[in-house]
Amino acid sequence: MRISRGALLVLIAMSVPIVIELRTVASFVGIEVPLSVTLALSLLVVVALVFWATLPPKQEPESTG
Amino acid sequence: MSAYIDDFPEEAAVIRAAFWSSFVALAIGAFFGLIQTLHRTDIVRIFDSTDYYTILTAHGVFMVITFTIFFLVGVFTWAVTTSLDRGVESLRFTWSWYLLMSLGTVFTAIPILAGFVDSIDMSADVLFTFYAPLQAHPLFYIGLTMFVIGTWLAGADWFRSWWAWKSENPSERIPLPTFMVLTTMIMWYIATLGIAVSILAFLLPWSLGLVETVNPLLTRTLFWYFGHPVVYFWLMPAYLMWYTLLPKFAGGRLFSDPLARVVFVLFLLLSTPVGIHHQYLDPGISEGFKFIAMTNTMFLLLPSLLTAFTVVASIEHGARQRGGEGYFAWLGALPWREPAFTGMALAGLMFAAGGFSGMINAGMNINYLIHNTLWVPGHFHLTVGTAVALTFMAGAYWLMPQVTGKPLASKPIALFQTVLWFVGMTFMSNAMHRAGLLGIPRRTAEPQYEGFEFQAAVGSVAELDAQVAIGGTLLFVSAVLFLWNMLITSFNRPTETLPSNVIPEPLSGSDDSPAVLDNLKLWTLIAIVLVVLAYSLPLASIVDRGGLFGPGGDAFPVRLSPTLVAQLLVDTVQEGLR
Ligand code: HEM
Ligand SMILES: [Cu+2]
Repeated sequence: MRISRGALLVLIAMSVPIVIELRTVASFVGIEVPLSVTLALSLLVVVALVFWATLPPKQEPESTG
Repeated sequence: MSAYIDDFPEEAAVIRAAFWSSFVALAIGAFFGLIQTLHRTDIVRIFDSTDYYTILTAHGVFMVITFTIFFLVGVFTWAVTTSLDRGVESLRFTWSWYLLMSLGTVFTAIPILAGFVDSIDMSADVLFTFYAPLQAHPLFYIGLTMFVIGTWLAGADWFRSWWAWKSENPSERIPLPTFMVLTTMIMWYIATLGIAVSILAFLLPWSLGLVETVNPLLTRTLFWYFGHPVVYFWLMPAYLMWYTLLPKFAGGRLFSDPLARVVFVLFLLLSTPVGIHHQYLDPGISEGFKFIAMTNTMFLLLPSLLTAFTVVASIEHGARQRGGEGYFAWLGALPWREPAFTGMALAGLMFAAGGFSGMINAGMNINYLIHNTLWVPGHFHLTVGTAVALTFMAGAYWLMPQVTGKPLASKPIALFQTVLWFVGMTFMSNAMHRAGLLGIPRRTAEPQYEGFEFQAAVGSVAELDAQVAIGGTLLFVSAVLFLWNMLITSFNRPTETLPSNVIPEPLSGSDDSPAVLDNLKLWTLIAIVLVVLAYSLPLASIVDRGGLFGPGGDAFPVRLSPTLVAQLLVDTVQEGLR
């Protein structure tokens, strides 16, 4: 795990408003995103987050910051 | 190093009682919340639309009067006894204000709930704002008065504790949590004068039939005189927990004691002289007064931004104590597994969103765009419905074990519950804001009109309705999970291994605070002067134009007479046949 399970849960929760409102923002610039695409995109985001979070931690943490 | 209940077993019992009163209200409120959500989105209609205001009144009153205030008197009692490290002066007195508040609640609840039963000639479908021309059964006003007097006595209880402590510690600064409680209570005393006058001088005599008419604009203005500061009455206990508990959970200490004191003083000064910002569309108040209210409101941003800064800085400090590094990577070092921490952090985040939509409400000219639309409930479900409610629930995950001596039943479910509230509220509140922009009204059982369609800029109204309904359902489930967890916790076996009830010293302590900040008399005086400045002229002109008890008009509901009922029936049947 890269982050704790609690943090993963919170990250997923935070992605919800972003994914939903991405559709609104896209429509401002004339791109109409269908609902089904939004749903698929949300699923993709969740899967990606879970995948990233469950990767083994990096061996040498970067010293930048 | 011990839990609260070990040091103050008797006070813990009062706090438990207050919390449970609050939770019962939350249960009822959440139930009605779900019903009305499904009703207005036309998904399921269990009740008749004519009962909608009964449901909405119950939801509003149980949520923002009973749930919030019972919880906060518990928190304040905890904060004062913990930070002064002394029990209440007289337990009998403490129980008596609790009982008065409870009795008041029952008296208020009876006429509200009687509204569902046609055979009882009693109703209080006046919404939580209860100004004329909506009229309730006298019992509603009597109950409300008792409840408010109960809170006054509670305040007196905390002041007594402080005076007793001060006589033993004459040269010490007021401990920060007690300072927060006292300034909040002074604000509350000033604010509740408005509804005390409104109820005792006008609404109660009117509902008893002692006076024929009242001046509706006057009762509205008196309500909103109280209606803005009451939001800070809900919010200050949440702030108190953000300032005292959140840094502790994050593994650190509060950043600055002086800044926290400044924030609470500013709220004391600025909470009340702004109420007219709820009346931008009231024709009887001239623009100039509204402009002053708007200016004062914008000043209120300052303490809120100070809070955001102090609390986030304290959390970051905590994260770095726990080994967090980097610009953003420290966020990962926070205790996200702790429901008390995560709930409060998410609540704070939503409060920021609520603050932004509040800026729209507060602007005199853009307010016209969203006034009385669903945008407004969208806004305050972020503030009182999440920043306050979720902070209270998260706080309960830590405080309940402290006052019961029993460990939390399930931490994972608690964590899931707080996150579910956040997600549910995202759906519901977001869609409410957007629906409001389309002009969909609030306080409406059936906002679906024949021959007229609201035009959605993006997506469709059906989609927005679906989002509101999904969100409302998730919120309801979340509330049930919370209540269930609390119930099981109360039946848990006591444990010896609870975290100890200490509030860590701030990094920059009270010695750094200018002594004048503790001069409560001075701040009270300035607060009163500001209120007089902001309200004397508007009130004078309202009374001047309409008179104290005029210009009147008919009360609603009109007293039901058999002919009226018959007429209503005929109308309804005709409507149905069309
Ligand atoms: C179970 C979660 C909840 C749901 C599903 C819910 C749903 C709703 C909805 C749909 C409305 C608008 C009704 C209308 O204007 O026609 C509303 C109004 C309101 N809600 Fe909630 N709500 C919930 C939780 C809360 C909480 C936690 C609070 C405060 C602590 C709260 C306070 C209010 C208030 C004050 C109103 C306005 C009532 C009025 O217009 O008189 N709600 N709620
Ligand atoms: Cu306000």
